[in-house]
Formats: sequence, C-alpha cells, structure tokens
Amino acid sequence: MSQAQMDIKSGLAAQRAKRKTQATRDNALRIGAIVAFLLVWYLIAIRTNPILLPTPLAVAESLWQMVVSGQIFGAFLTSFEDLFGGLILAGVLGIGIGILMGRYPTIEKILDPFVAFANATPMVAMVPIVIIWFGIGYPARVFFVLILAVWSILVNTLAGIKNVNRGMMEVGLSFGLSEAQIVRSISMPAAIPYILAGVRVGLGKAIVGMIIGEMDIALAGLGGLAATYGDAFRTNYLLAVVFSATVFGVIFVALLNLVQTKWYPWIAGVAGRQVSE
Amino acid sequence: MLEVRNVSKVFEKDGKDFVALQSVNLTIKDGEFMCLVGPSGCGKTTMLKLIDGLVPKTNGTIVLDGKEVNGIPSEMSFVFQDINLLPWRSVQRNVEIGLEVRGVPKAERERRARQALAMVGMEADYRSAPYQLSGGMQQRVGVARAIAVEPKVLLMDEPFGHLDAFTREILQIEILKLWMQLKTTVIFVTHDVDEAILLSQRIALFQAKPGRLVEVVDVDLPQPRWEYDVRAHPRAIELHNYIAARLNAKEAD
Ligand SMILES: Nc1ncnc2c1ncn2[C@@H]1O[C@H](COP(=O)(O)OP(=O)(O)OP(=O)(O)O)[C@@H](O)[C@H]1O
Ligand SMILES: [Mg+2]
Repeated sequence: MSQAQMDIKSGLAAQRAKRKTQATRDNALRIGAIVAFLLVWYLIAIRTNPILLPTPLAVAESLWQMVVSGQIFGAFLTSFEDLFGGLILAGVLGIGIGILMGRYPTIEKILDPFVAFANATPMVAMVPIVIIWFGIGYPARVFFVLILAVWSILVNTLAGIKNVNRGMMEVGLSFGLSEAQIVRSISMPAAIPYILAGVRVGLGKAIVGMIIGEMDIALAGLGGLAATYGDAFRTNYLLAVVFSATVFGVIFVALLNLVQTKWYPWIAGVAGRQVSE
Repeated sequence: MLEVRNVSKVFEKDGKDFVALQSVNLTIKDGEFMCLVGPSGCGKTTMLKLIDGLVPKTNGTIVLDGKEVNGIPSEMSFVFQDINLLPWRSVQRNVEIGLEVRGVPKAERERRARQALAMVGMEADYRSAPYQLSGGMQQRVGVARAIAVEPKVLLMDEPFGHLDAFTREILQIEILKLWMQLKTTVIFVTHDVDEAILLSQRIALFQAKPGRLVEVVDVDLPQPRWEYDVRAHPRAIELHNYIAARLNAKEAD
C-alpha cells in the first residue's frame, strides 16, 4: 500500500470515528437532558401535594395499572382511529386543494380568502357546531381533527407548489410535459419538503383536535380518560394518559422521518444544513 | 431549415414596454452550427426561448421545414444555462424525461438514456443523484438529456458559461464531435467570441437597446476544428478582431 493510500485510509478512519463520537455525544446529551428533567420533576414533586404534581414514579405506576387492567389499550385504539381518520382526510384534502390552488391562479384567487379566514379561525371553538352537524359519534370527532389539521397542510402545499423553481418548470415545458405530467413529475416532487413540513405541523394540531374532541364532543379514547381522571383529581392517572397521547406524536414523527430518509434522500442531499459533510 | 421571420419580443418591465428583440430575421440551414453572440441583455436567451416556444412572441413567425411553429415543438430540445436537473431523479431518470413524454417504453428509454450518457462520457454515473455531481458533470447530463430525444434542433444557452477554462475546452471539443456525429442543427448562445469561432459555421451578432441582429458572419475555418489550434489560425484572429470591433463599435454609439 502506498503512503498516499495509507494516508487516505487513516483519514477515513478518523472521519468515521469523528462522526461516531459526534453521534455518541448527541445521544448522551439527549439522555442526560431527559434524566435531568425527571430528576427536577421528582425533587419538586416530593415537596408538593400529589394532586397538584405527582412524582414520575407515581405516574409510571398508574400507567402500569392501566396496562394491567387493559383500560389504556381500548382508549388508545379509539384515539388512533380518530387521529388517523382525521389526518388522512386532512392530508388528501389539504394536499389536493393545495395543488389545485398552486397550479390554477383562478382557483387560488377564489379560495384564498376562505383559506386565510379558516386558518385564522380558532377551530377549537367549533365544538358546539360540530356536534350540531355531526352528532357526538365517530364522524364528529374525525371532522374535528380534520378542521384543525387541514389548514397547515393546505397552506404549506400551496407554498411548495408556488415556489417551484422556474428553471425546472421550463425544463418540463421544453420537453413537452402536459399539465398533468408537470404536476406529477415536477410540481409535486419539488413541493415534497414543504408538504412534509405541513404534515408535521398538521400532526401537532390533529393531536390537539383528537384530545379535545374526545373530551368535549363525547367522552372517548385517551381524551375521555384524561377528562374522567381529571374530574376525579386523580392527577397521577391523568398525566399517565396525557403521556400516552404523546406516544402518538412520537410514532408519527418517527414515521415521517423514516419516509423522508427512505423515499426522499435527495432532500437531505440538496439541503445545506450539514455543509461540513 | 429553421426560419425566424420578423420576430419581435416586447416585455413589460417595471410597468414600461421594453423591446427585448426587434424584427429579427435569421435562417438556419439543416445541420448547421450557429452561434449567437452579443453583450449581456441583448436578447440571446430570449431568442432561444422564442424559438422553443417557452416565451410567447410579440409578433413574427418561426418556421421549421416549411411549417409554422406554434407552441412547444417536439423537434427541438433545450440545454439550459443553469441545467436544472430534477434533484429527486437519478442521472439516468433525468435523461429519460423527454423520452417519457414521447411515450417510449421503459426498456427502450433506459437504453437510449444510457446511450446518450455514453456520448457525453457519463455512462458510469447513471445511478448518481444530481447533487453528487460536479458542475461539469451536471452540464454533460444536461446535454445528454437534450440529445436523448434525438432532436432536429439543439438549442444551447451558454452551456459552458459556469465552467472553468479547462473543462470548458474539453466540452467544446466534445460538443463539436457530437454535432458531427449526430448532424443536428445547433443554435448555441455564448458571449465568448473565441468559443463562437471555435464552434460555429456562422455567427449571428446581436446588439442591445433595443436587442437586434446586426450581422451574420461566416466562419470559414477548416474542419475538424479539434485537429489544430484554432485560436492561432490567422483567419480566426482576423475574425476575432473583426467581431470584437463590431461589438465594441456599436456599444460606443
Ligand atoms: N420575463 C422578462 N420580463 C421582463 N424583461 C425580461 C424578461 N426576460 C428578459 N427580459 C429582458 O430582456 C432583455 C434580454 O434578456 P436576455 O435574457 O434574453 O438577455 P441575454 O442576451 O441572454 O443576456 P445574458 O448574456 O446576460 O444572458 C434583458 O434586458 C432582460 O431584462
Ligand atoms: Mg442569457
């Protein structure tokens, strides 16, 4: 092996080792932060009335109780159905209408005031009217999740479609792509980073919609459990339910990240965040 | 034969009418290599986009082989100055885009894309993502994408403008060889007079304010041009001086 090759090899090893220590350090930081948070919580909680703030141990204990009794699973499933149904509808409508508005200026001009208005409306206050329209069953809760989540998805999709680089559009036009082909082969993929960002924001809002719907439309799912325990001042159970709902967010975000890295590796390739890489 | 008949383009710029091109008349023979040269803003890019139908004409007609061109002609393809490869497609899939539109079946598409990539020396990188390529490599893919559809007319807008002198020279020779092999008509925009003399059979000189065609110069230099040092050829020096004087003189008045 030549000197140059050996130099490259050791350089590569150093480069990889550096990336590895970086990853280890990041993980250590993350775990450290969580441990510190739990510790602070614990230290405050042992000096506080447990109705105001139970210890993390008490919350874990309550969660375990609900797992053993099976109570949490039914609630989980109901909540999942609410969230999933609403989110799928919000995705289809938000992305679909966003694309139409982005491609057809007339449609945009007509719908734009409505979207701006809806986006600024506190949809949470719509609970009574949702009940009047849809009753108190599953459709009402799904609709509620929908009207909370759809706007950020729509607005982001629209921004993505409108911001497609003019040069790429010219490539499409020059090669004779039809309107449908331009949407499918250029506008849509180019807007994917925006759409994913919109779905992320929409997800957060959908979870809020899910919980509020389950508390205020009819007691159901995790929201229903939280309301029941809250009314009974069983704060340890209440917090256990709330953190269970967090799991949804974590799972969906992980899913989105997976989709992005597996299906759209070019997003990271084009982005300038890790310039040193 | 491609005829540009009395074509003008007026843009609306800052609320005023701006004459980007004024009554251009130009005839380009089949298989000819023509360069468009002129100062920045004289309408070279606009001329190419008018020919390709990417920018609507204010008036005049463009005629290809006796037929008036309306809309975007499928016989022409464009090599853009800033290439704009689609970042979510591999190199090969980028080259396939024009073939997809023309309904070429998948296997045939792949074969022709690979063939086009081989012509520009990029066959080894067909699976790469565009962001993994150097500027010169992207430029080659841009050329491959345009020739894959086997166009009658190849429109090239300063394709080597961003490249270093060394890569540029290599690609200039490659484009010459490609042109001799494919026998396509090439309309090539550049602001580099030496590049125009090296490549073309005729040079169309443009001037700005208003953008217009001022003269067409014959480049009567022997072919193939890569077999001798064109820049040192006495006739090339003469042409260079003449064109430079023409462009400067007009700029002065
Ligand atoms: N879409 C547009 N709207 C308004 N004005 C435009 C538009 N496109 C081009 N122009 C104007 O037309 C003129 C010619 O532009 P063009 O891009 O054709 O120049 P060019 O000769 O290619 O210049 P360069 O060598 O710098 O690329 C410029 O003054 C430009 O400002
Ligand atoms: Mg230009």
